[in-house]
Amino acid sequence: MIGFVRISKLIVILVATLAPACLSAQEMRPRSILVLDQSDLRGPFYYQIFSELRAVVASDAYEHTTLYAENLDLSRFKGPAYEESLRRYLMEKYRDKQIGVIVTVGAAALELVLRWRAELWPGIPIVFTVVDEMDYARLKPPPDVTGGIVKLGLADTIAAARVVVPNLKEIVFVGDAWDRQVIFRNWPDEISTAANGLNVVEMIGLPMTEIRKRVAELREGSAIIYSAVYSDGEGTFYPPATALALIAEKANRPIIVGAETFLAPGGIGGFVLVPNLIGADAARLALRILDGEASASIAPATGGVKPIFNWEQMQRWQVAESSLPAGSEIRFREPGLWEKYRWQSLFAFSIVLLQAGLILILLFEKKRRRDAEVESRHRMSELAHVSRSATAGELSSSIAHELNQPLGAILTNTETAELILSSPVPDLEEVREILADIRRDDLRANEVIRRLRSFLKRTTFETKDIDLNALMREVFDFLSTQASARNVSLYLKASPEALRVNGDSVQLQQVIINLIVNSMDAMAAIPYGRTVIGRAEMNGGKAAIISISDSGPGIPVDKLAEVFDPFFTTKEQGMGIGLSIARTIILAHKGRIWAENDAEGGAVFHVSLPLSAA
Amino acid sequence: MAGIVHIIDDDVSFRTAIERRLKKAGYQVITYSSARQLLDRPLDEKEPSCILLDVRIPGLSGPELQKHLGELGSTLPIVFLTGYADIQTTVKTMKAGAEDFLTKPVSSAKLLDAVERALAHHETLLGQRHRMDSVRSQIATLTPRERQVFELVVRGKINKQIAYELGMTERTVKAHRQQVMEKAKVQSLAELVSIAERLGLLSRGPETGDCGEGGGGLP
Repeated sequence: MIGFVRISKLIVILVATLAPACLSAQEMRPRSILVLDQSDLRGPFYYQIFSELRAVVASDAYEHTTLYAENLDLSRFKGPAYEESLRRYLMEKYRDKQIGVIVTVGAAALELVLRWRAELWPGIPIVFTVVDEMDYARLKPPPDVTGGIVKLGLADTIAAARVVVPNLKEIVFVGDAWDRQVIFRNWPDEISTAANGLNVVEMIGLPMTEIRKRVAELREGSAIIYSAVYSDGEGTFYPPATALALIAEKANRPIIVGAETFLAPGGIGGFVLVPNLIGADAARLALRILDGEASASIAPATGGVKPIFNWEQMQRWQVAESSLPAGSEIRFREPGLWEKYRWQSLFAFSIVLLQAGLILILLFEKKRRRDAEVESRHRMSELAHVSRSATAGELSSSIAHELNQPLGAILTNTETAELILSSPVPDLEEVREILADIRRDDLRANEVIRRLRSFLKRTTFETKDIDLNALMREVFDFLSTQASARNVSLYLKASPEALRVNGDSVQLQQVIINLIVNSMDAMAAIPYGRTVIGRAEMNGGKAAIISISDSGPGIPVDKLAEVFDPFFTTKEQGMGIGLSIARTIILAHKGRIWAENDAEGGAVFHVSLPLSAA
Repeated sequence: MAGIVHIIDDDVSFRTAIERRLKKAGYQVITYSSARQLLDRPLDEKEPSCILLDVRIPGLSGPELQKHLGELGSTLPIVFLTGYADIQTTVKTMKAGAEDFLTKPVSSAKLLDAVERALAHHETLLGQRHRMDSVRSQIATLTPRERQVFELVVRGKINKQIAYELGMTERTVKAHRQQVMEKAKVQSLAELVSIAERLGLLSRGPETGDCGEGGGGLP
């Protein structure tokens, strides 16, 4: 049973594949096609049908096919006399030409060819195209006549109108007289059923001026259904696409059209005939027949119609893409930047995203680093303040001394002056001298206070252009009293050239004070010859070196690296932060600080600071 | 009271002010900018004087100068003046015999008061010294024999013992003893012992022939 089915299937397949080959062997047809077009080829619709047909024929890989074409111009010329003249013309013209297949474009052309075939081209198969369903039924072509039937019912067109105008109340037919229409001439018969419930306005066969006037004054809720206008009604003929452009220019309502070529001139679209499809279908059929297939075995097919809409018009009439019939195609879409440059945009976007991410990370990093910097600067400022206060504590005796010196002089002088003034003959000259002394001492006291305040003031890190020589001089002057009280000789060897660095003068002073005080402390135990020597010098034009050397016992070699560590101290009362503060400050100034022992005894502290660019 | 005030302060302004004030009060004033300057000139200690000394001066500090002067046997009272009186320094200097310790700025009343007391103190010292000197010169007039008798008398030896020790008769001892009482201008043995005590004779051994300061030695 199963085996039988298989064998019968095989036979069917064999017959199917062998049949055309057998045919082609028996009836070799001349490879030529005669295209009889009922139009005048000026309009884009028929032109596209023909050019697509020609393109498909030309692209046939097997053999060259000769193409003849005639434009019967049947919309402009009518009547038995014209038809008779055409017949004679064609008969004469193609008397000696071998025609393989005849392709007709349009129902009127098919009708004529069917009438003339027996006389002019007996037995030549016919491929028709652009023939309406109703015309096909009316013409009843014989079996060896095949082709493409276009099915463009008014119902479909009205459905399209409803899509465009959801609250459709009225349809306005614009076109030439129905009997002059090629494809749409059957619509009047459909109106009663398809347009049920709608107000129907017919602007049929009107002069163009009239049409243009009336389409500009249409009501809300109406849609124009454009069939085709071939003339202005006053003797000027034009392709219907051109006519549509004139109408669309004035129309105040959307125009539903029936041909793809009516989209560009201003139609919003609808179920339209697509000339390229029609032409290609016809060409393929013709080629199949030329290749030997029997035209009778090819049943006419329906096709060539697609729902296509005009994007610009959709925008104008606010028709959503989603409301269009299934399978709709949209033309003239103004591609958005996204559609136009999808990949470029994607790429650019991802780059931007990546960059944004990176920037974010960097910003975050930067913020964290700045926070840390601010924090550490804050800490350092605090510590420096603590250290300064500690130093100030150490220095307070010398400060009091310095301050009480002028105050003491002032007090005594004042009392002396009072004494002089209370005598019977006061020596005013002496009083004047005393007053001068008082003033001088007062200013001195003021200067002490100012120095003290600038020293104790807790300042944030602010860099300025500083001359290290002047800075050192100030510190050495400031410490001179304390040094003499502690029996320490202070010497400063300034550099002959200016040493300009960028830095915080208060903090750098702090460093030098710390180093000197540290040196003085280190020498507390030695009985005599306590000396601190400060040097400021240039180092190769790039850096300034400050060194503070003392005549103390020096630093144990194993402690040289440790002295800058926080809380490293050899002093009983020391906090061990002086040198660590000094290092922190110097590092903040992008400098270096190090300690070593002098070959001749004593410790030397060096500070290297980058010179500011001149 | 008139007297000499030595001011040692490196601050010319303060020095001048004090000098001016003290001169107004009638003192003689000598100023020095450093301890060294003072040491370079021998001090006249015969008149009532005192020293106004700054604690913090370059070179030799105030307390160091005090120590130095003490070693030199100076009797000049020292009034310290300081801009900043830390307890340590104050205690140290007072222990070392400072007359007073003043803090700058100092009112004239306090200063003059201190100077006055210092001078009075020095005057007392000078008076004692003066008396000692005269006693010493009186003792110096004793003959060696009288001196031997004197030393033995003040140590409580009776005439018989003295006679035996010195190999003389009791009578001779009595005569020498009479001479000693006259030369020393004293009426009683107690007064004579007191002089010997002040001259520091009693702390030394009796067996020596040392006559002490100002006295003649043994032949």
